[in-house]
Amino acid sequence: MNEDLKKTLLNPIFKGNPITVLVLGICSSLAVTVQLKGACVMALSVIIVCGLSSFIVSLLRNSIPNRVRIIVQLVVVAMMVILVDQVLKAYAYSVDKQLSVYIGLIITNCIVMGRIEAFALGNKPVPSLLDGLANGAGYGLILIIVAFFRELLGSGTLFGFRVLPASYVPNNLVILPPMALIILGCIVWVQRSIQKDLQEK
Amino acid sequence: MNTNNNVYTIIYTTIIVVVAAAILSIAAMALKPRQQANIKAETISQMIAASGISSKEDLAKLGNDKILALYSDNIKTAFLIDKDGNKTDELETEVSSIELQDNLKMENKNIASGEPSLPVYVFEKDGAEINVIPCYGAGLWGPIWGYIAFNADCNEIVGAYFDHESETPGLGAKIKDEAWFREQFKGKKVDFDNPDKPFGIIKGGAPEGDASKVDAITGATMTCNGLDAALNTWFKAYMPFLSKKAGAAVESDACCCEGDSCDSNGEGCGKECDHQHEHKHQHNHQEG
Amino acid sequence: MEYISLFVKSIFVDNMIFAYFLGMCSYLAVSKNVKTANGLGIAVIFVLLCTLPLNYLLNKYVLQPGALSWLGERFAGVDLSFLSFILFIAVIAAFVQIVEMVVEKFLPSLYSSLGIFLPLIAVNCAILGGSLFMQQREFLHVGEAAVYALGSGIGWWLAIVALAAIREKLAYSNVPAPLKGLGITFMVVGLMGMAFMTFMGISL
Repeated sequence: MNEDLKKTLLNPIFKGNPITVLVLGICSSLAVTVQLKGACVMALSVIIVCGLSSFIVSLLRNSIPNRVRIIVQLVVVAMMVILVDQVLKAYAYSVDKQLSVYIGLIITNCIVMGRIEAFALGNKPVPSLLDGLANGAGYGLILIIVAFFRELLGSGTLFGFRVLPASYVPNNLVILPPMALIILGCIVWVQRSIQKDLQEK
Repeated sequence: MNTNNNVYTIIYTTIIVVVAAAILSIAAMALKPRQQANIKAETISQMIAASGISSKEDLAKLGNDKILALYSDNIKTAFLIDKDGNKTDELETEVSSIELQDNLKMENKNIASGEPSLPVYVFEKDGAEINVIPCYGAGLWGPIWGYIAFNADCNEIVGAYFDHESETPGLGAKIKDEAWFREQFKGKKVDFDNPDKPFGIIKGGAPEGDASKVDAITGATMTCNGLDAALNTWFKAYMPFLSKKAGAAVESDACCCEGDSCDSNGEGCGKECDHQHEHKHQHNHQEG
Repeated sequence: MEYISLFVKSIFVDNMIFAYFLGMCSYLAVSKNVKTANGLGIAVIFVLLCTLPLNYLLNKYVLQPGALSWLGERFAGVDLSFLSFILFIAVIAAFVQIVEMVVEKFLPSLYSSLGIFLPLIAVNCAILGGSLFMQQREFLHVGEAAVYALGSGIGWWLAIVALAAIREKLAYSNVPAPLKGLGITFMVVGLMGMAFMTFMGISL
């Protein structure tokens, strides 16, 4: 049991990372990696939404009519996302503004729905919760790594504080959307050089 | 239990939807006052930053309540005007009942349709009146907006603040982030003699000595074009109000910059304008 | 003229993939060959074109603050905008479901080529993203919303077909082993995005 739990928690963060290995949930979120602050809030939101919706769906799993399964899941996920959005609007207004539509797009983030379909529907609530949290964390980790490089190279700051000397000329290209994908490509490259079994033929 | 039965499916879905809607409504109602206070404080702090009473950095450290109080302490009056520049309605400025005309998007449409109801916020700073007006328009990716502060006679800009929803960080976002961009608005004028284009943000640098042009930001052409269009639309809409105020001032203290000769070729005018600039520098100096 | 500008802008400048990363999951998963990519792209255009104006009307007459005033004075102060995510996604999911059933029943040949993509689309971020951008931008008419939907859909289609074509050729290239597959695809998309950035200055 303990071994299982550990696997549930650690697997999604590195070896089965939802972004770099399962290719889920890249959709909405690379756009929020321009600054670390936004990326952290986004990561946190996804962790919460993913964990709690997995938990709720898992509680309901035996009573959900199969035909309307997807709709019920969407309602649960959308509800969690709206709650997160409302709370952010009330307590972290400036960050919410920065994330704009991307908070709403967590609804269609494939990780959330993917984990519900693949795990929460067939498992007890507590493992489902942990699975959701861990997958959210795996996703958040990548988001934060990308944001780290983009903010550092693109603005010379981290969390808004200047880190690089003033003589550093910020590289505007890093801030533009295409570089997020290229940095992500590099992360995949590094990960797959370390874990040879992930390489595609 | 047969969970694939039609009746069961319908009842189940209904219950889920009703429960979800109930939870959300409660959350929305509970959080609404805070959210609205946030929006209000945000709008107010942009206005105050434009007026120069406090800086955005200082305001960011204050809580919502203090920002509202700061507004209430410094504002003299706030009112709405119609398209002819006549006052139509007062806005509440008491801390408990602050009213703002903060739906700029809507007003932007109303300007286009010719029936705007435009807000003017009159602050008092060091005994002098400051008139703050908003502007709103489309940037490259999303809406951009801002507040422009005029002196008591509305013939000189004393400050500006701009914000945006989703301009590119490091490029278009500089309209908000770069202090020099806002600073260059200080001392500029709205060109009443050129009603089609009373203000200009010029790519490649504004011509020296032109009092109603500022430099655009390199690499942010589209955002600056958007801001230029927004400023012109709103300045045009406010023109009757601004020129009325300025006209009243001209009668007492004539300035040829308001006259025709300035644009064509008036030498005497240049002196007058320089004089104005000196005056402005002195003013800045006093502030500093 | 405004419509043409909006149309061109939504295809090239505000491209769903290259500027906003929307619909990336299916974009990467279904871009291995041109034929299926084409099918999915067309399905996205179709669904966007239908759901976005629907959601526009929903937003305008139900969700916006004060939108319910057509029901009478009493409802003028109602603000249901907090429900927008859930209703948008419900409209999209329901629409996709209905289209799937209709196509399966009446156009079996179309179903066999397009139908398999439809369930994928309900959770495609590009569709919901389109609706959320529509809400954020506050289009004036339903026509603008439809033009925006068509443009974004075509932009998405263009992006996926182009990537699929590149990936078909890429199969013959000598790519470093750790970069094979996913890694190089990310980079190719990034490079394509840079190429699309040249459209950024367009104004009509």
